[in-house]
Amino acid sequence: MSPYMLIILIFTLGLGTLITLSSSHWLIAWMGLELNTFAILPLMAQQHSPRAMEATIKYFIIQTTAATMLLFASVSNAWLSGQWEIQQMSHPTPLALITIALALKLGLAPMHAWFPEVLQGLNFSTGLILSTWQKLAPFSLLLQIPPTSSFLLITLGFISVLMGGWGGLNQTQLRKILGYSSIAHLGWMILIMQYAPPLTLLALTVYIVLTSSMFLTFLYNQATNINSLAISWTKTPMLTALTPLVLLSLGGLPPLTGFLPKWAILQELTKQGLTPVAALTALSALLSLYFYLRLSYATALTTPPNNLPATLPWRIIFKQPTTFLAVLITMSLSLLPLSPSVMAFFTF
Amino acid sequence: MKYLLFLLLFLLILGVVGVASNPSPGFAALSLVMVAGSGCSLLAGQGGYFLALILFLIYLGGMLVVFAYSVAFTGSDYVEGWGTRRISLAAAGYLLLVWGGGVILSTNLNEEFWTVGASFGEFMFLEYNLVGVAHLYMGGGWLLVAGAWALLLVLLAVLELVRGASRGAVRVV
Repeated sequence: MSPYMLIILIFTLGLGTLITLSSSHWLIAWMGLELNTFAILPLMAQQHSPRAMEATIKYFIIQTTAATMLLFASVSNAWLSGQWEIQQMSHPTPLALITIALALKLGLAPMHAWFPEVLQGLNFSTGLILSTWQKLAPFSLLLQIPPTSSFLLITLGFISVLMGGWGGLNQTQLRKILGYSSIAHLGWMILIMQYAPPLTLLALTVYIVLTSSMFLTFLYNQATNINSLAISWTKTPMLTALTPLVLLSLGGLPPLTGFLPKWAILQELTKQGLTPVAALTALSALLSLYFYLRLSYATALTTPPNNLPATLPWRIIFKQPTTFLAVLITMSLSLLPLSPSVMAFFTF
Repeated sequence: MKYLLFLLLFLLILGVVGVASNPSPGFAALSLVMVAGSGCSLLAGQGGYFLALILFLIYLGGMLVVFAYSVAFTGSDYVEGWGTRRISLAAAGYLLLVWGGGVILSTNLNEEFWTVGASFGEFMFLEYNLVGVAHLYMGGGWLLVAGAWALLLVLLAVLELVRGASRGAVRVV
């Protein structure tokens, strides 16, 4: 793609999110979301394959549907309450509709079916933008709207954790696995949103760090399925040793960073008296843990019987700079001892 | 006047059903013209003449015309309208849905379903049609720039998506 086009699209991605993050009027927030949708479409279609085009069209239809629902709900709210402020919504019906529209935008269950399929059609770098940057704007809106039906949010959250874990069990394609892991993590974030919004931000940030590590690891190894992952140990021994730890951090195991948001969320849920919800969600996270463990087996814990294209050379050749990946992996493994400062960072 | 209102509303619903029942694109465009025509007449009758004019000009006269030409290029052998069974069944289903919705919503007939006019904060104006656009250009500031950037971006994104030959995304390379 022409570098001018690339600059314009990436700039607009940033602009759209910034507009939504800083808006107090529903129309401006909608405008930012639409900017994000349109800016990422040519980036998604960069690969010119039918699969990429299918992913682009699916993404466009889903996001436009969600944006139209959002517009309808905000206009209904303007009619019913006479103003367009995001934080002053008063009527329950537009509130519920906006929650559902934003859930569709994010890919929360039961509106999650499009997400793994769209991710599968993209290369890793575009998928990374889709999984991390595109989640910021809808979350900022969800965090600002007044409390809505608690049943809706808990249902969205719990079903997302369940479907994210369950759906990822039968996958061999790494992008689909990352898609289902995204659905599960978003479920955790939505679950706690009405009780402790700082924990939502904490979970979102930790998730972004973790999933960026995984996307960049798979990008470095050029591994798109479990078979390719299994023979990628010949490329960098250090990355091969660290990948299982990042995967277990995604699964939420102590003493890694991924444990922090889950721990804090379960504690807050039990404090609010939702112990059965907390217990069931923790049990559903075991499903996700199973396929993370399967990936770590394939990466470093077992030697699969695949034919190796090449063995590890004596002097390791670095194909790409891995500085950013190194920082991300360090953060995704070792932030748990800093929990008090990390949590203080998000409390507002 | 009542009969004119009834006719326009009837044509509106009929046109919406005609689009929703999923006929061939040419017939759907025709239904869309019916919807836009009756909807704009309703709007203009209630005082929103600016929006009605803009809709006719840009939506019908620009976007729908381009869409109709693109559809004419595709040209299909088996054109389906309301004559085929599948589409007439879908249209009947949607009409039933509209009727049912009307029955359910008409339980509280004392409510006012028709509002006209707007007042916004300290701006009490009777002429709300054009003032919004004027305010966007006058006091809009960076929002106007952002709006113009959004339009430019959509143009560039579409151009990038439909670029032909090896740089394009519509054709399989």
